[in-house]
Amino acid sequence: MVSSPSEKTKIVVGMASCGIAAGAGDVYNALKEKIEKENLPIVLEKTGCIGACYREPLVEVQTPGLPTVIYGDVSVKRLEMILEKHVKNGEVLANWVVKGEGIHTSEDALFEKQVRIVLRNAGEIDPERIEDYLSRQGYQAIRKVLLNMKPEDVINEIRNSGLRGRGGAGFPTGLKWQFARQSPGKEKYIICNGDEGDPGAFMDRSVMEGDPRSVLEGMLIAGYAIGAQEGFIYVRAEYPLAVKRLQIAIEQARERGFLGKRILGTNFSFDISLKLGAGAFVCGEETALIASIEGKRGMPRLRPPFPAVKGLWGKPTNINNVETFANVPWIILNGAKKFAALGTEKSKGTKVFALAGKIKRGGMVEVPMGISLREVIFDIGGGIANDREFKAVQLGGPSGGCVPANLLDTPVDYESLNQTGAIMGSGGMVVMDDRTCMVDVARFFLNFTQEESCGKCTFCRLGTKRMLEILERITRGEGKPEDLDKLEKLAYNIKKGSLCGLGQTAPNPVLTTLKYFRDEYEAHIFEKRCPAKSCRDLIGYRVIPENCTGCTLCARVCPVNAISGERKQVHYINPEICTRCGACYEVCNFDAIEVFSPVELAETVDE
Amino acid sequence: MREKDATVTVIIDNQSYRVPRGYTILQAAERFDIYIPTLCSHKDLSPFGGCRLCIVEVEGMRNFPTACTTPVEEGMIIRTHTAQVQSVRKEILQLFLSEHTSSCLICDEREECKRYLGTIRKAGVTTGCRYCPKDGQCELQEVVEKLGIQEIEYPIYYRNLRVEKEDPFYDRDYNLCILCGRCVRMCQEVRLANVLAFKQRGRNTIVGPAYARTHLESGCEFCGACVSVCPTGTLYEKARKWEGVAQLEQVTTCSFCGVGCQISLQIKADRVIGGLPAEDPLVNNGQLCVKGRFCIPELVNGPWRLRHPFKKFNGLEVDISWEDAITLAAEQLSRCAPDEFGLLISSNCTTEDLYIAQKFARVAMGSNQVDSPARLFYGPALNAYLALLEKSVPLAEVREAPAILCVGLDTRYGRSVVGVELRRAMHRGARVITIHPREHNLALTAHAWIQPPPGGEGEILQFFARFTAGEESASPPETNLSSETLRQLARELKQASGVVILVGSEVLHYSASPQILAVLHRLAENLGAGVLPLPAQNNFVGSLLMGTYPELLPGGFSSANEKRLKELEKVWQTEFRPLTNGWNSGNLSAGKPLKVLYLIGEALPSGEPPAEFLIFQNIYPPDSPIRPDLTLPAAAFTEADGTFVNGEGRVQRVHRAVNPPGEALPDWEILCRIARKMGVRGFDFSDVREIHREIAALVDGFQDFDQPPRQARSLTIEGKFQIAASGSFEAKPDGKKYPYLLNAAPLEHVYRGFPLSSRVEGARVIFADEVLHMNPRDARRARLQEGDPVEVTSQYFRKVWPVKFSPELNRGIVQVTVLQNELIGLNPIPVIIRKSHV
Ligand SMILES: Cc1cc2nc3c(=O)[nH]c(=O)nc-3n(C[C@H](O)[C@H](O)[C@H](O)COP(=O)(O)O)c2cc1C
Ligand code: SF4
Ligand code: SF4
Ligand code: SF4
Ligand code: SF4
Ligand code: FES
Repeated sequence: MVSSPSEKTKIVVGMASCGIAAGAGDVYNALKEKIEKENLPIVLEKTGCIGACYREPLVEVQTPGLPTVIYGDVSVKRLEMILEKHVKNGEVLANWVVKGEGIHTSEDALFEKQVRIVLRNAGEIDPERIEDYLSRQGYQAIRKVLLNMKPEDVINEIRNSGLRGRGGAGFPTGLKWQFARQSPGKEKYIICNGDEGDPGAFMDRSVMEGDPRSVLEGMLIAGYAIGAQEGFIYVRAEYPLAVKRLQIAIEQARERGFLGKRILGTNFSFDISLKLGAGAFVCGEETALIASIEGKRGMPRLRPPFPAVKGLWGKPTNINNVETFANVPWIILNGAKKFAALGTEKSKGTKVFALAGKIKRGGMVEVPMGISLREVIFDIGGGIANDREFKAVQLGGPSGGCVPANLLDTPVDYESLNQTGAIMGSGGMVVMDDRTCMVDVARFFLNFTQEESCGKCTFCRLGTKRMLEILERITRGEGKPEDLDKLEKLAYNIKKGSLCGLGQTAPNPVLTTLKYFRDEYEAHIFEKRCPAKSCRDLIGYRVIPENCTGCTLCARVCPVNAISGERKQVHYINPEICTRCGACYEVCNFDAIEVFSPVELAETVDE
Repeated sequence: MREKDATVTVIIDNQSYRVPRGYTILQAAERFDIYIPTLCSHKDLSPFGGCRLCIVEVEGMRNFPTACTTPVEEGMIIRTHTAQVQSVRKEILQLFLSEHTSSCLICDEREECKRYLGTIRKAGVTTGCRYCPKDGQCELQEVVEKLGIQEIEYPIYYRNLRVEKEDPFYDRDYNLCILCGRCVRMCQEVRLANVLAFKQRGRNTIVGPAYARTHLESGCEFCGACVSVCPTGTLYEKARKWEGVAQLEQVTTCSFCGVGCQISLQIKADRVIGGLPAEDPLVNNGQLCVKGRFCIPELVNGPWRLRHPFKKFNGLEVDISWEDAITLAAEQLSRCAPDEFGLLISSNCTTEDLYIAQKFARVAMGSNQVDSPARLFYGPALNAYLALLEKSVPLAEVREAPAILCVGLDTRYGRSVVGVELRRAMHRGARVITIHPREHNLALTAHAWIQPPPGGEGEILQFFARFTAGEESASPPETNLSSETLRQLARELKQASGVVILVGSEVLHYSASPQILAVLHRLAENLGAGVLPLPAQNNFVGSLLMGTYPELLPGGFSSANEKRLKELEKVWQTEFRPLTNGWNSGNLSAGKPLKVLYLIGEALPSGEPPAEFLIFQNIYPPDSPIRPDLTLPAAAFTEADGTFVNGEGRVQRVHRAVNPPGEALPDWEILCRIARKMGVRGFDFSDVREIHREIAALVDGFQDFDQPPRQARSLTIEGKFQIAASGSFEAKPDGKKYPYLLNAAPLEHVYRGFPLSSRVEGARVIFADEVLHMNPRDARRARLQEGDPVEVTSQYFRKVWPVKFSPELNRGIVQVTVLQNELIGLNPIPVIIRKSHV
């Protein structure tokens, strides 16, 4: 889009948590000050996450007569240049552009393969202004629903769209609404699950920060569909910006009559309030979440009865994920057909992922269902950082699993991912390269779940701890041959015998790594070797004499003085002293330090 | 909705059964004696599904559902013992044992080694089942045994948690805890006390009060309900720690207050080793308070129990035979003119004891000088209190009342069963209002807590009474609540129908109490409310009905009632001249000097001996320095048959659960023997049943000894009691000279004249009798440390007590409880307080 010359320049700063963390606040303030001081003809706005988090702070500049571009890595200093060159002189600074019409950038692929439904507004609007939302068909869906549709029609529309829950399990949303609608009772509730407990996941946060009203509107529509009068958004207190923006959105909606009594003059009344969670992973589980809203300890209880029958305060309750709700207004406005046209037979629409780990372009992406993992990782994500070798991708967080290289062509849909042993989950995607030890990865996730277990059931509380102890033993090189069987048996029992999803899925990372990377486990146990050369107890560092220039850098950084050697002479690492911190390896400019495993190799070198 | 079939058909282990709809799989299995191992489920608690031991296979279900939480459905195919299910169960047990001190459970020698266990270590660390107090009663042991665990495939960890012993009554060794959550559910769901909760997460998950507080600090009522349901040795009664398994149980009535809870006494080797709640839906409904739950064994098994009669002889005490003791007593009693004799009997005694005691005085001694010193507990408020008692409604009415008003009631320790009823009432939507000067559990949970200064209850009640009588413009007194709130509360009371008013002990000991209770009576009439006075003495109503008072004859008749006297003379076949000379236990010297004073279950006063010859009949020797001339060993309530009549007027059975120690005898039997020795007719009873039959002839409601009527009988008292004048005086407040107000109440938790706090270790901690309670800020200002002796001076006396900090009290108010025969005046008493340097 080319802006017309009559308009002022508009600058939009990405002010989601990711942007602010990277310094967007400073940029925004500096710009604001400058505009005021010099009385520049510039309109300044802020928006939510634009998606290229690894290039934050991101600033979009719309200057009349020039293509709209997004600049990345904008510092206060770069900003000066942008104002000078781009705004004043009309020169696009192509090198810094992340996205821009007609400009080819290295980031094009990041945007090309994406389809933005959930993120349709994120990065485009100022999330603190209701007018922005309204200008992009905001609250049109609820208007359409209230004025033209019966609750049953709404449910049918959602059912036909094929939308499935984005919180993890992928239960068909329309069906869930139908159950809640059919449950007898006058008092019913809607809950939006914004707990987002997976480590490293931030999709829901971005939606709540960047486009809070889509969530509200989705909840309103659900409320109308099931016959509820009240809704709660459960959001973790660690998301202060999301809390603030949701709060603003709720207040503005109340002022404009989108929330409260007799919405849009109809008989439908609905209000929404926020409940802040303390950030326990298990509180994302729906029954624990309900207990937490009721002021009790967040401890899951057995289903049935499902929340749709007996939920909050014993009343029928429909609980959906943030992303699920954010899809709803779009479906109502664009029709179930259009939504169902995207994706595969059983998985429709799009899914937002948080790309992280050893990947070139980490960030938030929204892709159509059915796209292959390879496309996501290599085309959109740009491949592996430092061009190392791809080893596995962890999907679904601590409840998910690791998918190896030979399954990279697996399409992203619920069933195909489940078949690999991983799950769609809430959308965490952690990419690993050849230096990631899979036993250690399993240990990491298991450690997380066993600490987050609510402690209610025996398997989850004690079983995961016993598994963890075995994994820790293996990574220390103290594994026993029978350990793998023991792990598998425990994992099976924990899955079968735990009460809630946390326990039932906790062994997944272990099971998938055992399935695809059993050789790594065996190397640890039988050869005391860590193939990824990452488990501290099984590795050593040594100098490669041919490469060493005797620059002494390594000796200077070694915290325990394990390295000796004269200047310009080949250095030597004393394995007795070395704590295998890897500091020397990181600093050496000549690739003269190598990691080896198993440790026994050290002796052979000495001789 | 279409009428649903009441049962469903399920197939359990290839057999088809019809079970009621709504049953869980576990209930269905239990009904047909199919064993499914369980640990966290408990019949009195909601399903939890935590231990996972009860998993079963259900066709069509993805994972193994837990039998205790899964409802049966039509056509369900359930398998309870497949190899897979068993293997998962075994894994669970192994996981438990991997953090449990379990060496004994899987030790090859476990059957043999018991014989060689030379010592029992009372150390806090449980090193194996044989050293665990729960050995032999542990449910974990039981399932391990049943499932046949042979080895543990994991290294065994000792969690190394500190054993918590700082609270009274029970210890907690969370190294043994399997986190079944029973204690938490018990405390939260059944007791509604919310002391216990799950804390922390993952492997650090633990149960206990929030914020690492002790149970004392967190409002625990020491009801012991949590202890009763703990399947392991984690929660364990201190007093019962090494007693092992009970051999017998005997249900009886608690003797520690007028609620009259049904207790199942736990018996081993002819000793009572514990008390557990028994089901009586009309009374305690499966609950007990700390006294009934924990205080009985220590009280009745004390090493100083009297076992033989003895007499004072040349300044020494010498054992004598019963024959000699009876002869001595008879000789001494025969010397007395009717007004030279006095008999005091505790209203802790059974109805039959009480009846025989007054008959003894009236028939054998021809005297009316018989009294129950319970009257002293009520002091000048006695008549007003009796008027309330006549209006008493059953406790169960609390369960229906839309609004409940409590006055002077503290249910934290004593009568916590009433506290549970109140919390339940709140849960079902009843309004609970409490008037109390102290901040305590009930004050904190009630909807409204009105906090007057001590003695200021009357003004609030007065306001309510006027308001509800239609005087809506009456102005409320100043309290912690605004006038508007008080008006609102008055309005609520007025609008509710079926209000119940509960009266505790802490409103009885003010100089203004007679007026306060009279206003309360009026308020009750305005509201048409039922009143439930909760007498402190378990058989106070029994003592009134039996007439163990100079003013009363059996049946509640005045002793001046000629017609009644005639009837009695007929039944008793005697001639009877009542004496009404103002003699009573508060005024022993009203008539002639006493030759013999006969004390049954009553404490000795500490001053001069009140008679030439003292007969002391009790379960322990007196705490007072005075030595009785003749000491007779009596049976405790666990050792005798009979009945009690509780505060509602319900006749309840007391059962002999064990034999009295040594040669001790029930009170009635001793009395009858003496009477016979004196040659008096009418005391040839061979058992309690015969006495009961005689009572039945005179008083309604005592027809069936073995199955007393279930409904509460009503009480009518003819005439008025004489109020003892001694010891009462109006205090003139002088705020400058006497900056503190002392509230000195008679000790309430007493059995046969002995404070529970003097016989039961834990009771000493929770009741803190004869200790001056003081607001911590006041105490610090007076430079006092907890435990310091303080001197309390009023216009009339000077006393020294140790001080205890009590945040429950407002500033400027101090409080103490003392034995009722050592009361010092009527409250509140203006006093000066300073550190004592004695
Ligand atoms: C341990 C555990 C954690 C969960 N955490 C979340 C979460 O953070 N956010 C979420 O939306 N759903 C989470 N869920 C899934 C919810 O229980 C629930 O299925 C979901 O909120 C339903 O919404 P949906 O149908 O829209 O997916 C979690 C489930 C489990 C077992
Ligand atoms: S599976 Fe884990 S988190 Fe879930 S209820 Fe059991 S202990 Fe709690
Ligand atoms: S003794 Fe009673 S009040 Fe105290 S923790 Fe146990 S159940 Fe709760
Ligand atoms: S203390 Fe006892 S009742 Fe409470 S959770 Fe532990 S084992 Fe269960
Ligand atoms: S409430 Fe009274 S009767 Fe019940 S256990 Fe306690 S003392 Fe005994
Ligand atoms: S008894 Fe069913 S889970 Fe514990």
